[in-house]
Amino acid sequence: MKFTRLAALALTLLLAVSASAQSVEFSKDRFGNDKEGLKAAQKAIKTGDEWYFADPPKYERALPYYLEAQKFNPNNAQLNLKIGDCYLNSGFRPRSLTYLQKAFELDEQVDPRMHYLLGRGLHLNARWQEAIAEYKKATPPAGAKNALAQQQEIRKHITECESGLALMKKPTRVFIDNVGPGVNSPFPDYGPVISADESVILFTSRRDNSTGGQTDPESGGFFEDIYQATRNGKEWGPAKALADPVNTEGHDATVGLAPDGQRMLIYVENNGGDLNECDLRGNKWSKPQTLGKRVNTNAHESSASYSPDGRMLYYVSDQPEGGLGSRDIYKIELEGKGKAVNLGPVINTPYGEEGVFMHPDGKTMYFSSEGHNSMGGYDIFKSVYENGKWSKPENLGWPINTPDDDVFFVISASGRHGYYSSYRDDGQGSKDIYQITFLGPEKPPVLSNEDQLLASRVAPVKETVLAAAVPVATTQVTILKGVVTDAESKQPLEATIDVVDNQKSQTIASFRSNSQSGRYLVSLPSGINYGIVVRQEGYLFHSENFDLPAGAAYSEVVKDVALKKLNVGVKVVLNNIFFDTDKSTLRKESTAELERLVALLNETPKLRIEISGHTDNVGNPAYNQKLSENRARVVVDYLITKGIDKGRLTFAGYGLTQPVASNTTKEGRQQNRRTEFKVLEK
Amino acid sequence: MKTTFTVTAALMLAGVLARPVQAQVDTVRATTLPPAQLAEKLYNSGIAKFNQKSYRAAIQDFDRALATRPDFSKAFYNRAATRYELKEYDQAVQDYDQAIKLEPESFTAYFGRGQARQALSQADAAEQDYTKATELKADYAPAWYYRGDLRFEKGNFKEALADFSAAVKADPAYAYAYHDRGSAQRQLGNYAAAVQDYDQALKLQPELLPALLNRASAKRRAGDLKGALADFSAYLNKVTDNPVAFNNRGSARFDAGDYKGAVADFSQAITLNAGYAFAYNNRAAAHLKLEEYKKAADDASQAIRLNAQYAEAYLNRGHAREMLRDADGACQDWRKAAELGLENGSAYANAACD
Repeated sequence: MKFTRLAALALTLLLAVSASAQSVEFSKDRFGNDKEGLKAAQKAIKTGDEWYFADPPKYERALPYYLEAQKFNPNNAQLNLKIGDCYLNSGFRPRSLTYLQKAFELDEQVDPRMHYLLGRGLHLNARWQEAIAEYKKATPPAGAKNALAQQQEIRKHITECESGLALMKKPTRVFIDNVGPGVNSPFPDYGPVISADESVILFTSRRDNSTGGQTDPESGGFFEDIYQATRNGKEWGPAKALADPVNTEGHDATVGLAPDGQRMLIYVENNGGDLNECDLRGNKWSKPQTLGKRVNTNAHESSASYSPDGRMLYYVSDQPEGGLGSRDIYKIELEGKGKAVNLGPVINTPYGEEGVFMHPDGKTMYFSSEGHNSMGGYDIFKSVYENGKWSKPENLGWPINTPDDDVFFVISASGRHGYYSSYRDDGQGSKDIYQITFLGPEKPPVLSNEDQLLASRVAPVKETVLAAAVPVATTQVTILKGVVTDAESKQPLEATIDVVDNQKSQTIASFRSNSQSGRYLVSLPSGINYGIVVRQEGYLFHSENFDLPAGAAYSEVVKDVALKKLNVGVKVVLNNIFFDTDKSTLRKESTAELERLVALLNETPKLRIEISGHTDNVGNPAYNQKLSENRARVVVDYLITKGIDKGRLTFAGYGLTQPVASNTTKEGRQQNRRTEFKVLEK
Repeated sequence: MKTTFTVTAALMLAGVLARPVQAQVDTVRATTLPPAQLAEKLYNSGIAKFNQKSYRAAIQDFDRALATRPDFSKAFYNRAATRYELKEYDQAVQDYDQAIKLEPESFTAYFGRGQARQALSQADAAEQDYTKATELKADYAPAWYYRGDLRFEKGNFKEALADFSAAVKADPAYAYAYHDRGSAQRQLGNYAAAVQDYDQALKLQPELLPALLNRASAKRRAGDLKGALADFSAYLNKVTDNPVAFNNRGSARFDAGDYKGAVADFSQAITLNAGYAFAYNNRAAAHLKLEEYKKAADDASQAIRLNAQYAEAYLNRGHAREMLRDADGACQDWRKAAELGLENGSAYANAACD
C-alpha cells in the first residue's frame, strides 16, 4: 500500500512547533470553561496517538478518536493534519483533502511535507492541475536528504496527474452501481468473482459474524470469509457465507472463479501469501487445496484467474526471480511440469501489477497496474493476446479508474458488466462491491432533415403558354342594306342582288330583295373589291362598287336602289368600270361590269347607247374633257371587240360639265368621276 | 361559298315566315359571319379572358370556337391550357390529345400534356411527353428541366443531371435549372459542384431563396459548417417563418457542437409548426448531447406521437432511456427502430440488451 512510511512524518509532528496564530490549542487557556470536554478531547487524542504512532501505524483505528477530538476543537492544525494523514492511509482517502487544507490554513508550517500532502489530497480528488502545482512545490532541491527518491516519487505522481487529466477528458461511458444490500454490508466487502453468465457471485467480506467471530489484531477488523450470492432477477442476494471447510477462523478470501463457477481460487496468508483452490461438488465446496510449489513460493502470491479451458492459471506473485519489479503477472500450465512464465514487459512494469482476470474469451486479460499510464495507484488495464503477443495495455479510463487503487476487477462473458470494489460515498459504510455497466462508445443521436431540392416544387412557376391570337377578319365587314324600288312608281321591288368579286370577275353570291318590302342586306367581308349589281327583268341594272381592302373596319352602308325601266334618255352609272389613275386604260376589275353591258346589249338588240365619261372639277378642264372622252371611247372599243355593232354605240367626253354631286366633298367628287351610259334608242 | 347559302337560306326562311322586318334583318346579320372567322374571333376572345384570369369564360369561348371549327388545333391547345389552370387535368389531357392529333409537330402541346399528366401523378407518361417535346424542339429548355425533375424524383440523379445540363445549355439564364442541377449534384455527393450551381442560380435570380437554403445544406454536408451557418442565417434573415430552415440550421449548429443554439432553432421550428416531428426528434438529439436526458426522452416521445413509424425518434429515445437507467425501455426502443429499418437499432440492442 501507499504511504506506509510515516515514521518521518510522525517525527516531524512530534517536533512541530504549534505556535500558529490561527491554530487553536487544546489548552485550559482556551477551553477553561469546558474542562470536562477538554479532558475528553485530550483523552481521545491520546488514544488516537497510540494507534497513530504504533509500529506499524494503525491509521483507521486512530481515526475515530481524532474525529471525536475534532468535534470539540475543529481548529487545531496538528489534529487536522493527523486526520488528513489517517484518511490518506485509509479507505476513504479523498476525504483527507479537507483536513489537510484546514491544517495548512491554520498553520502553513505545520509540516515540512505539507505541499506533498496537499498534492496527494488534491490528486486523490482528481484535481489534477492543482495537485501538479503542489507536487512541484514539494519537489526537494537536489542534494537534499533523500532528494532523488522523493523527486522520483513526485515525478511519478505528476505523470499520473497528467494521465488523469488526459483520461478524464474522454471519460469511459459506464454506469457504476452499488450492487446493493443483498451483497454489500456495513463491513468491507470486496474481491468479487463471478461466473461467466453472472448468475453467481462470490466475494470476500469482513463481517461481524465471520467464522470464529475473531478480529484481526493487525487491522482490528473481523477475519475474512467468503460469501456467495445468486442473482434474483436484477437483484443480487442475499449473500451467504460459505460453510466449512472453505471458511476458517483465519482469513479466507476469494480471488478467482472458473467461468462455469465450479472451481474457486482462494487466497490464504500461509507462506507469505499463497493460492488454494477448491471445487464445487453438488452444492458444497470442497476443502481448499494448495496449488503446489510451482505456484506458491515463499513470496507473496495473491490474485489468480483460470483460462477458460481451466488448463492455464494466470496469477500474481512478487517473487524476485524473473520479476520485473514489485508484483508481476505470471502464467503457468496447471497440469504440466514447467515453470511459471512472467508475462513480460508489455504487461509487467517496475511497479506493481495485481488483480489479474482472464476473460472467458481466453485472450482478453484485465489486470491492475501502478505503472503504464495509471492516473494514480492501481488502475485497471486491458490487454489482448493476439498473434503471439500482448497488445499495449489500455487504461479502462475515468471513471472506472480513479486516482486511488482500482483493483480486483472481473467482467462478465458478455462484456456488458464488470465488478470491482471501491470506497464510495454511496456505499453501505465501508468498501463495497460495485457493478460497472459498459455503455460502449457514445451512441450518436440521429437527426432528421429535409430539403426542398427542386425549385419548381418549392417555388412553382407558371409554365402555361397559350397559343397566340390569330388575325381575325370577322369584324371587318361591311353591311350593305337598303330597299329596292321601282324608280318611277317608288314601289318596293323584288330584284336580284349579285355580289361580284371584281378581281376575279366572279359572282360570289346572289340575293333577292324582299318582294313586299324591297329590303335587302348583304354582308361584305373586307379584302375584296365588290361589285354589287341589282337587276330585275325589265329594268336596267344598277351597279355599285364597294372596294373593301383587308382590314377595312366594320361599317354599315344603307343604299336604296331605284331601278329604272329601259326607256330612252335613262342614264345608268357604271360604278364598276375602273381606269388606271389619270389614264384611259381599263383595269381588270372592270371586266364583270363590261360583260354585263355586253349582255344587256345582246339581250336588247335594238338598244343604242351613248357611253360618256365624266370627271370632277379638279385639274385642267380641257384635260379632263379629253380624259373623259378617251375613257368613253375605250369602253366603246371594248364593246366593239365583244361583237357589238359600232353603229349602236357612241361615246362622248363631258369633262366636268355634268356633275351629279357637289364637287366640294371628296365623296361628291368621287361620284362625279364616272362612266355612264344613256339609252338613245331601244 | 358557304356564306352564300347560309345568308340566302336565312333570307328565304325569313321571307316565308313573314316575320317582322327588323327581326328578319337581325337574323341575317347574326348568321352572316363566315365560320372560320367566327371561330378565330371567339378564340381570340378566349385568350383575352384567359389573360384576365376569367378561365370559365375563356373555356366557353374556346368551346364555341371549336363548335364552329372542330379542326382548330390552337383552340384545343388553349382550352387545354385553360383547363390546366382550372386544375381539370384529365380534360386538359384530352384537349392536348386533340391538339397533338391535329398538329403532331407541336412541341408545346406535348409539353403542356406533360405538365397535365405530371399534375395527375402520371410521371412516366409525363416524362414521355417531355421527351417528345425535347425531340421536337431541342432548345426548349423547360421540357428538359421538367423531365429532369421527374427523373430526380425517381432517384435517377445522373439522368436528371444530364437533363438540367441540357436545360441550361438551351437557356443559360435558367436559374431553376441551375438550382435543380445543384440538387442533383448534391444527391450524387458532389457537394462542391452543387454549391457552384446554387451560386449560379442565385447570381441569375437573387430572390430564389431556396437556393440559399439548399446551398447551406450542401455546405453542411461538405463539412463547411461555417459557410452553411452563414447561408442559413442569410436565409433566415429574409424568411422568418420557415420551420424547415430553422430545423436545418439547428442541425448545422448541432454538427458544429453548438447544442444550445441547436435547441433554440429546433424550438423555433416547433413554434412555427407544432406538428413538426423532425424538429422534436432533433431537439431530442441536442438534449442528449447536453445530457438533458429527460427532456430528450420527452421530445423523442412527442416525435413518436406525431409519427408512430419514426425510426430515428425511437433510436434517440432509446439512447435517452439508457441514460435514464430505463434499460428495458431503451431496448424496446432500439428494437423498434431496427424493426422500422434502422440497423443501428439492432446493434445497440445486441450489445446492451438481454
